[in-house]
Amino acid sequence: MKTFTRITTASMIALGMGAAAVADEITVYTALEEEEVAAYVEAAKKAMPDTEINVLRLSTGKLGARILAEAGNPQADVIWGWAVSAMMDPQILEMLEPYAAKGADVLPSTFRDDGDKWFAPIGYMGAFCVNTARLEEKGLPMPSSWKDLENPAFKDEILMPDPNSSGTGYLHVNAVLQSMGEDAGWAQLEAVDPNMAQYTSSGSKPCKSARVGEYTVGISLAFTAMQSIEEGYPLAMVFPEGGVGYELEASGLMASSDNKGAAKAFLDWTMSDEAIDLYQQYKALITVPGVDASAAAEQAGLPADISTVLADIDFVEAAENQTAVKATWKEKLGR
Amino acid sequence: MSTMEQSATPSRKRLDPDRLLTLACIGLPLLGLVLFFLYPMLIVFLRSVTVDDGYGLANYTQVLGSVGFWRATQHSLIMGGATTVLSVFLGFIIAHGLYRCAFRGKWLIRAVIVLPLLAPSLVQALGLIFLLGRNGVVSRALGVEIEIYGFWGLLIANTLYALPQAVMIIGAALVLLDARIYEAADVMGASPARQFRDLTLPAARFGILNAAFVCFTITITDFGNAAVIGGDYSVLATEIYSQVVGQRNFNMGAVVGIMLLLPTVLSYAIERQAMKRQRSGQAAGQVPYRARFAPLRDTVMATLALLICAGIIAVIGIVVYASFVTLWPYNMELSTKHYDITLAGGYSSLRMTIVISIMAATGGTLAVFMLGLGLRRLPKAVAQPIQLLAAMPAAVPGMVLGLAYILTFNSTSTPLYLLYGTATLIALINFYHYHTQSFLTIMTGFRQLPQALEEAAGSLGAGLRRTAIDIVAPFIAPMLVSVFFFLFMRSMVTLSAVVFLTTPDLSVAAVTIMRLDDAGLTSQAAAFSTCVMAVVCAALLSMKATLALIGRRHRTKGTA
Repeated sequence: MKTFTRITTASMIALGMGAAAVADEITVYTALEEEEVAAYVEAAKKAMPDTEINVLRLSTGKLGARILAEAGNPQADVIWGWAVSAMMDPQILEMLEPYAAKGADVLPSTFRDDGDKWFAPIGYMGAFCVNTARLEEKGLPMPSSWKDLENPAFKDEILMPDPNSSGTGYLHVNAVLQSMGEDAGWAQLEAVDPNMAQYTSSGSKPCKSARVGEYTVGISLAFTAMQSIEEGYPLAMVFPEGGVGYELEASGLMASSDNKGAAKAFLDWTMSDEAIDLYQQYKALITVPGVDASAAAEQAGLPADISTVLADIDFVEAAENQTAVKATWKEKLGR
Repeated sequence: MSTMEQSATPSRKRLDPDRLLTLACIGLPLLGLVLFFLYPMLIVFLRSVTVDDGYGLANYTQVLGSVGFWRATQHSLIMGGATTVLSVFLGFIIAHGLYRCAFRGKWLIRAVIVLPLLAPSLVQALGLIFLLGRNGVVSRALGVEIEIYGFWGLLIANTLYALPQAVMIIGAALVLLDARIYEAADVMGASPARQFRDLTLPAARFGILNAAFVCFTITITDFGNAAVIGGDYSVLATEIYSQVVGQRNFNMGAVVGIMLLLPTVLSYAIERQAMKRQRSGQAAGQVPYRARFAPLRDTVMATLALLICAGIIAVIGIVVYASFVTLWPYNMELSTKHYDITLAGGYSSLRMTIVISIMAATGGTLAVFMLGLGLRRLPKAVAQPIQLLAAMPAAVPGMVLGLAYILTFNSTSTPLYLLYGTATLIALINFYHYHTQSFLTIMTGFRQLPQALEEAAGSLGAGLRRTAIDIVAPFIAPMLVSVFFFLFMRSMVTLSAVVFLTTPDLSVAAVTIMRLDDAGLTSQAAAFSTCVMAVVCAALLSMKATLALIGRRHRTKGTA
């Protein structure tokens, strides 16, 4: 007990000293990938030496639950790189304060909020993860579209996240509906349903299951596909013809922040040239005009002009229809 | 007892240190339960009745009107029942083997049976899939794809998790049976089968019922297993996840969370009813039971117990092995590269997790011991509602409890806010999350404690403090030790409640594992899990060694 008290006292003193040495301290909540967070924060700390940047990383869904649970007394100063479809939830928008980050005005209007509550210089894409070893073993043809997955040979070989539990699930459902139109879109999803082995609660799980050979096709995320290919799994990343769904990673300022100066400076940094250079190392999808995606992404099989594989997504409409689409999905396809 | 009361004058009664101590024994743990369980759950309840224009039952009607909810309820009840039957049956076999039979290698069974408790949930999930999955070891060996996802996979996973807890509680009922009763039965010529039916089973009934209650409750609240191996077999916990995490719909999630309390309260009531017919307590001056070798009984028991243990070892061992494999299942060359962990804070969270786990285990064991001690001295009418409260926390899914803690403690309107973001709050949530199991194990132990022993100590002039320390604690020491280890192990690896309470400066091992897996680095997550399990094992061994040392010193002091 004595040692415990001593440790506590020591850390209290250390905390006190820390506060004296660093002028500002901000807490940032993010859903960006771990390795990105590590790289960006290291650079941001160098650019803002007087600011202590505390980062909490959680997956998109869990972060949302946390932010809403804390709504009575928010702990974050900044929400950084979080799915825009979650950000546009009225419960969240209410907690944000308009701030036009320096440099965000270069973004096309579809990638930032009219009221300046969020802006999204980066994003991520969905993809089919196809296990080539299992595909060969089962003698299945390589799928290149949603339509190909209707083939009865794929029975119980496909996984997809449940849109009611996973943002990635909604990303795909929304892309099918918006690119094919309501009626054709639902018909497509229903046509693939008999082949669907499971609707999972996690967005990356379909890809992780496919990569270890449990299933052949995992409808999932391009990030997980690329990372798996890099690790050496027998995996192919496929973007379905007619366009794949994607999501923007938006940032915004919490109205409750008691250190808005530093919080704004951090948001400004996320639009700085330095930050954008880093995005090119890590991101497949950059919305800043005139900036190309990463060379690494290109090696992993992404086309040079990413816009050729993306579905035409209206994010405002996607956010507005969210509840209705999820309810319809549950009614038509829920298990 | 009655003589004491008669001799005590009314004025002495009020200041009686015994009464004060009884009050503290009840009061402190009860205060804890109220602040860290009842109050947060009250806030969850308020959320469940919050509608757009104030309070109302609209959320409930909406949930009760949906097809998905009823399907999930049905699945949860079937799964809960099946897991309970299987776990209690297997748990009884193991506990009976450990405490009522004579064969060698019991230490192995004791060590292996707790492994599912100290394994992070990811390990169990990966282990089952690597072993029994469509591309798992067994499927490949047989050349037939086993379909593990769904009811059967979920049943196996839930049973693996529930089994050690069933063994702990049933064991608490069997370990203290008096040998003299069996000797008497022998003398009277009762056959072993008759002794089992008429002596062992009735004595174990309290433990069996408590174990059944725990297995049922933890199964219907579990989300982790359902998410990884349940396939499309939707259960109530997946409904909550879908509402809260998928749709950011807190109030609806709260409704399902509150509804989950109902079957638990109901099964607790049934259990109490069934227990009424059982005699409590035993004769004083017990002689510990030593089983003699009975070839038929003991060979069968040992074989069954070892088979179950082999299954557990296979599931966990395969993940440990896979953490040393370059690329499971495609490149089986051995490598240590997955142990080079730099992301998600690396190994830094391990030390803090140990501190938190020791806090939870020490404080928790003390709290349930005090509560058990105090409850014996309360009239039944007062004791029963407290018992129900103490048995309820397991009915709350970890995620609901974690979010309830945010809603409760992240509010500047009470001084409890000081706890928010501290290691203490994480230790507290770990303890209250597992309060039911700890409490019921201790209560099962207390049930064996002869009333006469305490009374004798009382009439010899020993106060409650002396009685508690010198008579009661040594008597139920085996349960105190298993509760301590249980809380320690669960606090080291539990994720669901804690994930919502970590901060940028304060993380725990389970969250690191989740973050590594989230980042797609499943092999690194397995490697980190292996390290956590190694640390827990080392900690357990050193604690056991310390206990043995203390025990020996105690005994030599006693004989000197």
